[in-house]
Amino acid sequence: MKTRVLVVDDEAPIQRFLRPALLASGYEALSAETGAQALRLIATAAPDVIVLDLGLPDMDGKDVLVEARKFSKSPIIVLSARDQETEKIAALDLGADDYVEKPFAIGEFLARLRAALRHAAPDHAPALRYEAEGVVADLDKRRVTRDGQSLKLTPKEFDLLTVLVRHAGRVVTHRQILAAVWGPAHADDTQYLRVFVGQLRAKIEPNPDVPRLILTEPGIGYRLWTPEAA
Amino acid sequence: MATERERDRRPDPEALLALAGKEGRGKLKVFLGAAPGVGKTYAMLAGARRLKAEGADIVIGLVETHGRAETAALLEGQEVLPRKKIPYRGRELEEFDIDAALKRRPALIVVDELAHSNAPDSRHPKRWQDIEELLGAGLDVWTALNIQHLESLAEVVSRVTGVAVRETVPDGVLQRADDVVLVDITPDELIQRLQEGKVYLPETARRATQNFFSARNLTALRELALRSTADRVDDQMVDYLRQNAIEGPWDTSDHLLVCIGADFQAEMVVRAGGRLATRLNASWVVAHVAPEGHEESDPAKVRFVDEAFRLGERLGAETVRLAASDMVAEILRHARRENFTQIVVSRARGRFWKHWLGRDFAYEMVRQSRDIPVLVIAAPEAPAPKPRRISLKLRASERRRLGAGLAGAILAVALAVGAGEALNAWLRLPNLSMVFLLAVLVCAERFGLWSAIAASFLSFLAYNFFFIEPLYTLTIAKPEELLSLLVFLVVAVLTGSLAGRVHDQSEFVRRRAENSELLYAFSRKLSAAPTLDDALWAAAAHLQRVQGGHILFLLPEGDELRLAAAWPPMDELSPGEMSAARWAFSKRVAAGWRTDTLPNLAFQFRPLVTPRGVAGVCGFQPKAPDEPVSPEDERALTAMLEQTAIAIDRSLLVGEAVRSAALEENEKLRTTLLSSLSHDLKTPLSSITGAVTTLRQLGDRMPAEDRRDLLASIEEEAARLNRFVGNLLDMSRLESGAVKVRADFLDPAEIVRGAVERCRKAFPGMRIETSLARDLPFIRGDASLLEQALFNLLDNAHKYGGETGATVHARQEGADVVISVTDEGPGVKPADLERIFEKFYRGGRTDGRKAGTGLGLSICKGLVEAMGGKIEAQSPALRRRGTRLLVRFPAAQLDREKGADKEKKA
Repeated sequence: MKTRVLVVDDEAPIQRFLRPALLASGYEALSAETGAQALRLIATAAPDVIVLDLGLPDMDGKDVLVEARKFSKSPIIVLSARDQETEKIAALDLGADDYVEKPFAIGEFLARLRAALRHAAPDHAPALRYEAEGVVADLDKRRVTRDGQSLKLTPKEFDLLTVLVRHAGRVVTHRQILAAVWGPAHADDTQYLRVFVGQLRAKIEPNPDVPRLILTEPGIGYRLWTPEAA
Repeated sequence: MATERERDRRPDPEALLALAGKEGRGKLKVFLGAAPGVGKTYAMLAGARRLKAEGADIVIGLVETHGRAETAALLEGQEVLPRKKIPYRGRELEEFDIDAALKRRPALIVVDELAHSNAPDSRHPKRWQDIEELLGAGLDVWTALNIQHLESLAEVVSRVTGVAVRETVPDGVLQRADDVVLVDITPDELIQRLQEGKVYLPETARRATQNFFSARNLTALRELALRSTADRVDDQMVDYLRQNAIEGPWDTSDHLLVCIGADFQAEMVVRAGGRLATRLNASWVVAHVAPEGHEESDPAKVRFVDEAFRLGERLGAETVRLAASDMVAEILRHARRENFTQIVVSRARGRFWKHWLGRDFAYEMVRQSRDIPVLVIAAPEAPAPKPRRISLKLRASERRRLGAGLAGAILAVALAVGAGEALNAWLRLPNLSMVFLLAVLVCAERFGLWSAIAASFLSFLAYNFFFIEPLYTLTIAKPEELLSLLVFLVVAVLTGSLAGRVHDQSEFVRRRAENSELLYAFSRKLSAAPTLDDALWAAAAHLQRVQGGHILFLLPEGDELRLAAAWPPMDELSPGEMSAARWAFSKRVAAGWRTDTLPNLAFQFRPLVTPRGVAGVCGFQPKAPDEPVSPEDERALTAMLEQTAIAIDRSLLVGEAVRSAALEENEKLRTTLLSSLSHDLKTPLSSITGAVTTLRQLGDRMPAEDRRDLLASIEEEAARLNRFVGNLLDMSRLESGAVKVRADFLDPAEIVRGAVERCRKAFPGMRIETSLARDLPFIRGDASLLEQALFNLLDNAHKYGGETGATVHARQEGADVVISVTDEGPGVKPADLERIFEKFYRGGRTDGRKAGTGLGLSICKGLVEAMGGKIEAQSPALRRRGTRLLVRFPAAQLDREKGADKEKKA
């Protein structure tokens, strides 16, 4: 059975190219132009992944998100413009799995789609191992090496890396990381995060000044690069 | 204990502050001498020469060589500033050119004769003020001074030498000098130099000053000079100790209160107080207490106080005016409240009866002040003729009032005599004194104190003359009648003066109330003025009524002052008046008439000071140029100027608030524009990027039909992008006025068809019906702009009406041609009908799901109005749905037939 993708966007031109692109990539494509239509389709057609534009004519995209999350666990990828940072963060914190910024190239979009689907797969256990650019992180053994050399991470740095590895290829918001590593009480203390991300980069990045592994999503959070997402 | 000591040993903050205040200021070096001829100029020039040789930047601003060759020789090789020539009464006076000095800006400038008085119409009346300005501008100054010219010593010097000193320099100038060099030779030597003709004296002054150069005088002056210098050294020592927090037995907490009366002794008391304050190194305040409820009206007395105050300020004192019924108690209360350590009063001699009555001021001071030492200065008696001469110079209004009072008294007494005679004829009353007492009281009630007293004495005489035996003489036969007459006089004077005082006081209260009423009216007028200009004109007109003469207001504009309002209207100020106004503005002091700066002007300029700085300058012409402003007028003037300053400040603040609101509005607009651009430019861009990348990456796995559709979508979206950009460009061109509007004769039907055609191409799915009346008259306009406007209307119909379609009508309505575009969309709420033409207004949700910049209709409106047309919206248009947009143009004068003729001819 083909993977079913629901695209929720009222802009006809967007639907017009996403549909053939999805079909050509081997997906089954469903489309909705309003929030109500989207919710109906999510409930009845059970899409495997949902692509949701935040601006809809009948209701706020975030409300669609909240409603959908009440009965669907399918990953949701949000489409948005660059200037809607707060919208994006809110959407991610409300349960969206990732976002793609308009305008986007189809390759990037499909990679995000794949990453989201991988994490949502029923046989998918949270990643315990990460391997890229000579860096190997084994969460089980709490061991991190670079080019075969063992790296010494502080417990907090290791926790930070763990959160990133578990979401490898997907964006994690500042809030999500802070809440997971420092606890919910510190969810707004982004300055901790900056410091620890800097330290972690200094240890694992080949060139910490031009990070390739821990990527910054400006204003949103971080994303751990994975070879398969490229 | 140790910490206590530590704290005490910290540098005195005030001393450090004074030091900080000096930074940025030039340094002043004073060459002080006991008398002319001791060699001050020579010493100064010799020093300048040495420094010049070391390469210092020195300019000789002004030096009097008095024809002495050895002094003149020192000027060789020095840069000497040319003097300014000032024409004065047919002669030409040469003065120090302060503007040239400020322009040249040397590091050090030498200006001789600190005590010199400048020619009339100079910027400052005195040279020391020029030098203060140079110092303020950061130039170092060397100057020379003879001890006799020091303000606080002037009186001592004239007493010792018998020569009056006219030109004086405030002690503060010397006190603030950074260095004082004493140029000293013995009196014998000086006399010898004088005899050798080495000391220059003008021919006219030679005889007058002959006595001045006696050994006795010169010794006394030398002692004064030496002592002043020594005092200064002591001051410097104290300053040094305080700045460096070295413990020592200096006590500077002395605080002197110098009380002056409104009499000729006031100045002398101030001088004495100043000397004492200097010797004690104390701060001091000059105070004048006026009896409460009794406004000083004698201009001579007012002037005594004013001049004493001014002298005190020159000598470094603060001044304060108090008002109280019990003057002594008030002074003591003030002294205790402000922690004065000593009170200085003068004691008038000769007024034995006052002393006897217990009303001697100094005596009462000493008696009542138990905790504060009182220093009583003996003062000479008033020169007898002087006050009388002055007291004749009553103001006209007062003369009138006194005259009326006297006339009233005569009339009242005459009436009393008449009434007495009548009563006598009928009733034969034994005592008619009550009738006269009534006359006295009436006078007191009606005209005040003086009239009542005059009436008392007149009654006394009239009663005696008409009613006491022997009648019609001023003699009195019976001793008991004499006694009762005297008792009557005392009673009349006492009750009369009591009633008169009550009258005067209520008069005073009435004037006060009138003043505050006036002020209230003024402030109401100011706050009612809608604009700054209105407020200034109202203020000028009102002040003019109170003050007389011209009133003008100047406001800062850039670096200059601009005449903002004047009443009666005036166009411009003389250069002198302008510079006084600038002075008042920049230095925050009064300038012009009766001030230290340009006192010969007809105007005085006052800065309008607000908490935020100087709002502007008010200039006024005094009522009487020879008299100072009366305290009453001064109070009113000050209060009104304060109100004006506040009004100016307020309207500036309002202006700022409006500007910042406009900025905020602008900011909002920009945000809207940005989000609009972000969305509406990004949507086509997203589709294009998406389609292109899809084609490249997945094209070979796609059916040909999908590929063609993607290519078509790229083309359409590029066209849409082009329209957006075109709209933005149109808008900015319209706003900057860059659109050139032609006024050709146009056939409306033709333009409508063109726009519809273009629209069909842009939106292939859209259904457009047209209904054009036949034989439409021509209109005047620009074909391409009108087509653009109509296209925008159709574009709008497409956006909001969707594929359901639109109808275009064109018909004639009276003298107008009306073209309308009606869509079948959901319509516009009545409240929004006007707003749809606003920039960035978009129907539907604010995040703009309907594609569009929100510019289309506002561009349309701009274009239509630029061509002389009108645009309006109606909704609902049909069956509770739809919006109709109408553009209306006046039909061109040329009718179709003639137009056709013309075309044929062409």
